[in-house]
Amino acid sequence: MAYRRPLLRTAYEQDAAMLPTWFQRGAFFLLIFTFCLAALGAPFLSGIPSFFLGGTWINPVTNIFPLGIAALGFLILVGFTGQVSIGHAFFMGVGAYVAVSLGGNGDGWKACVPFHDEVGLLDQAAQCGMGLPMWVWLPMAGIGATLVGILVSPAAVRVRGLYLAIATIGLIFIGLHLGRMLPEYAGDFESGRRWPELQFKWWQEETPLIDMTSDGKWFGLIHLTEEQKQFFFLLGMLLIFGVITKNIARSRTGRALQAIRDRDIAAEVMGVPEFKYKLIGFAISSFYAGIGGALFASYNGRVAPVQWSLLLSVDFIAILLIGGIGTIAGTMLGLVFVELTPEVVKKFTEWLADQLGNGGLTGWVADVLLTQGGDFGPIAVTPAAPGWPMSVFLWNFVIFGVLIVVFMIFEPQGLYGIWLRIRNYWKGWPFSY
Amino acid sequence: MSVTEERVSPSSMGGQGAKTVASLAKGWADRSPKHVAMREKDFGIWLEADWAETWDRIEIAAHGLLALGIDVGDRVSIHAEDRPEWVILDIATVAVRGITVGLYPTNPAAEVEYLLQDSGSKVHLAEDQEQYDKVDEIDPSNIAEMSTIIYVEERGFASTNDQRLLSWSDFLDKGREHRKNNPGAVAQRMAAAEDDDVMTLVYTSGTTGPPKGAMLTNKNSMFAMEKIIDETSAYPDGKAPNQNDQILTYLPLCHVAERIFSTWTMLAGGPTLNFAESIETVPQNLREIQPTLFFAVPRIWERLHAGTIIRGGDASRFKKIWLNAGMKAANSIGEAKVANGGSHTAKSRILHAIFYPLIFRAMQEKIGLRHCRRAASGAAPIAPEVLAFFMGIGIEVYELYGMTENSAVATCNFPGRLKLGTVGEAYAGIGLRIDDETGEIQTSHDGVFAGYWNKPEKTAETMTDDGWLRTGDVGEWVDGTHVKIVDRMKDIIITSGGKNISPSEIENTLKASPFIKEAMVVGDGRKYLTALIGIEMDTVGDWALRQDLSYTTYRDLTTKPEVQELVQGVVNDCNEKFARVEGLKKFQLIPKELDHEDGELTATQKLKRSAMIEHFGDLVESMY
Repeated sequence: MAYRRPLLRTAYEQDAAMLPTWFQRGAFFLLIFTFCLAALGAPFLSGIPSFFLGGTWINPVTNIFPLGIAALGFLILVGFTGQVSIGHAFFMGVGAYVAVSLGGNGDGWKACVPFHDEVGLLDQAAQCGMGLPMWVWLPMAGIGATLVGILVSPAAVRVRGLYLAIATIGLIFIGLHLGRMLPEYAGDFESGRRWPELQFKWWQEETPLIDMTSDGKWFGLIHLTEEQKQFFFLLGMLLIFGVITKNIARSRTGRALQAIRDRDIAAEVMGVPEFKYKLIGFAISSFYAGIGGALFASYNGRVAPVQWSLLLSVDFIAILLIGGIGTIAGTMLGLVFVELTPEVVKKFTEWLADQLGNGGLTGWVADVLLTQGGDFGPIAVTPAAPGWPMSVFLWNFVIFGVLIVVFMIFEPQGLYGIWLRIRNYWKGWPFSY
Repeated sequence: MSVTEERVSPSSMGGQGAKTVASLAKGWADRSPKHVAMREKDFGIWLEADWAETWDRIEIAAHGLLALGIDVGDRVSIHAEDRPEWVILDIATVAVRGITVGLYPTNPAAEVEYLLQDSGSKVHLAEDQEQYDKVDEIDPSNIAEMSTIIYVEERGFASTNDQRLLSWSDFLDKGREHRKNNPGAVAQRMAAAEDDDVMTLVYTSGTTGPPKGAMLTNKNSMFAMEKIIDETSAYPDGKAPNQNDQILTYLPLCHVAERIFSTWTMLAGGPTLNFAESIETVPQNLREIQPTLFFAVPRIWERLHAGTIIRGGDASRFKKIWLNAGMKAANSIGEAKVANGGSHTAKSRILHAIFYPLIFRAMQEKIGLRHCRRAASGAAPIAPEVLAFFMGIGIEVYELYGMTENSAVATCNFPGRLKLGTVGEAYAGIGLRIDDETGEIQTSHDGVFAGYWNKPEKTAETMTDDGWLRTGDVGEWVDGTHVKIVDRMKDIIITSGGKNISPSEIENTLKASPFIKEAMVVGDGRKYLTALIGIEMDTVGDWALRQDLSYTTYRDLTTKPEVQELVQGVVNDCNEKFARVEGLKKFQLIPKELDHEDGELTATQKLKRSAMIEHFGDLVESMY
């Protein structure tokens, strides 16, 4: 009988394995499997998310998948390469607008020439959109963002740390300005325009190959609702990009990026071309952002240019810091936490508002927390102007601000760091090292 | 038993040839060419070599030796750490009916000169520049017989201009060419091998006088395999070593014990041989390999024990609570098993069942012996406390006894009949007796060596008139079946009061403390006993840090009154276990770490008493 010897490594491949232990493999597949079962409406499993997020939980959860792809791109740039950028939302926007220009409904290619018309600035009717299928617009969204990324990167890779962060803020404002300037791409500045739908077509035929915008049977096998179809599609995309990210991390490129992160001068001395790999890091990250942005906008259907703002970039910083910088698992933890907590808080407040005047403990709690006109509850139920009491929306910013500070001070490795500590505690059992 | 080189008779053509380590290796290559024979760690991963590849390299090396003109009975010396080349050259030498001479990597230049001169080695393997430098110092005319020096590590040889030098890869190239031109030359030699061919010279460590080369024959090695390795009743699960077993080799291969428990075990049963990176990395390599068969000298067992205690002391508070409970249980289990011949009692079995999943399993895994199905200790006496500890956490360590001159075949503790403090029972079918008058243990069997190389008068001294081997160890029977070693005959202390005292028992009790590395009891012809004690730098240093005691060097540490007090405590505990006359009145700490190079230790890390008295005479006198 031969025993398992996990530490006996006979090839470097074992060291670089994606999920090195059978426990990790099992846990990973079990997690994905439960996730899918929950989405399919398995009685108990779907009850857990609907307790926190309400019956339509599948929508906010699906919404985080495209954001997850963008977050992975941010991980490559910030977590692997160590380049702190705040311009991530800009690249998402670039991807989204490439997608909508190619795939959206519009007035043909003529409308895509900027300022084609003297009155174009005011002409809301003329919109750039060629109605091409997804297999064109989705990859092009990534490639477009990458090209823009490469365009700006010579400037970006010359500065580092805080200077890079500030330099990339500039991108956000350029993006917002362009959004205002080019309505033929961006649509109305306040309300945006419609994005192409998530469906597979060969070309512009009537019935799509894979339909994701109506309920029905998929592949003649299983009956799914529209939401479930999009859930599985976007989850699949996230998984694909997760695997690619892991492969980048454990490849030559990933090791070069991490060497630059740890000490750029030392990396250069060891023979890692700094400029080249910073550029590669920037380009890959932009590609992810472009894909993420395109999918995000398509899933949401209509996005206003003002969405691609500094706040979205800050979201990614929160995801990385709270989740744990440098690991995919940490990024996913941060993603779930940062993107779903506001939803949970919102649902909780709605529930509290229902409890008002009910009496009993819940009524009392609701009365203390919520404000309706005269009393001193800290949370405003009605969307009010900025000021005290604050709305749930504003409270979320406060909560994340505090959380980022707390994690920076007490657990720089984020949620994943907490897990690592728990794991190492038991790994060393019965000793401490 | 005559002791001459004439035994090496000219090769008789044809026939099968005697069973040798080489023929066994060939057998494995024929039967299971794809099974992993050896693993060596290189840049973080264990590189594997299967039997087909290993035998191929052995055969090439054997042809290489033929190309270098190695004739029947010529000596090939190997001066290297444990590495595949050691084993390959060793087996290749036997294949061409040469004689392997192993040198300890720690042997200083002067000893290397003596060993090479005494053995008259013709081909020498110096693994790297460090070992080559020791040969380079010798006047070539003193070792005129040596024609070739093979080196393995190329670094540092670029500018060396020595006609005798040959790199390992060039040596193999020579072998390949020779094989092409003379296919079957090695097979021919192997077919002519005889049982009485001397296969190796094992130099005794020489606690007194210069080392003597014990000649072991093919017959000796086969007998040792039969008795020590293939005796299924010595294994708790009743299975002899097989291909599922893993061995970690880390002790010097020139020592007969390591040769038996690694190379010969691999050849007898087919386990995979894993080479540890160095003696310092043994704990880590153990964790990686998790060997199923493990032999260690007491020093290693003491270090594993001390390491466990220290790491336990560093554990966090919650873990300490569990550890303490586990240690209590281990003590109680250990006691119960010691009293029951090494087997579980009902109570100890229940305790083990409770604490195994909680503590012992993880602890065994951390030590690296979780899958170990047989652990053994030998080559020097070990403190029973250490064995009891391991027994308590579920690793039964069987102490065994033997010496180079009888191919290590003498006694062994068997599962279920284990008696702590004894070295066990004689193997079935061998001659073992204790001389009534002197109490000396004597053996007679096929494993008894062919004599000392070029020293017939010394050989005669170690043989009794009726042809039994005198081991030089004083022993006594326990319950008529088990043998207890009292001490080396010449080490027994007779105080001025006329009391006979065995110092090793006292020394081992001292050494069971994690703080003490070396101890030497003095008192021959004196009024009372005293001791020279060497502290264990790691553990005492760790202890000092905890006490907020700052220190700079080993010497500085030994002069701290707190450390003196600490050792005094250990000495007091030790004195309580012995009779009054055996108590230590005083002790002195040795101000330096003992070293082979300085002549205080033998190559096997045994104290050289005479050298110690010489070096630290002042310290000894200061105690009287």
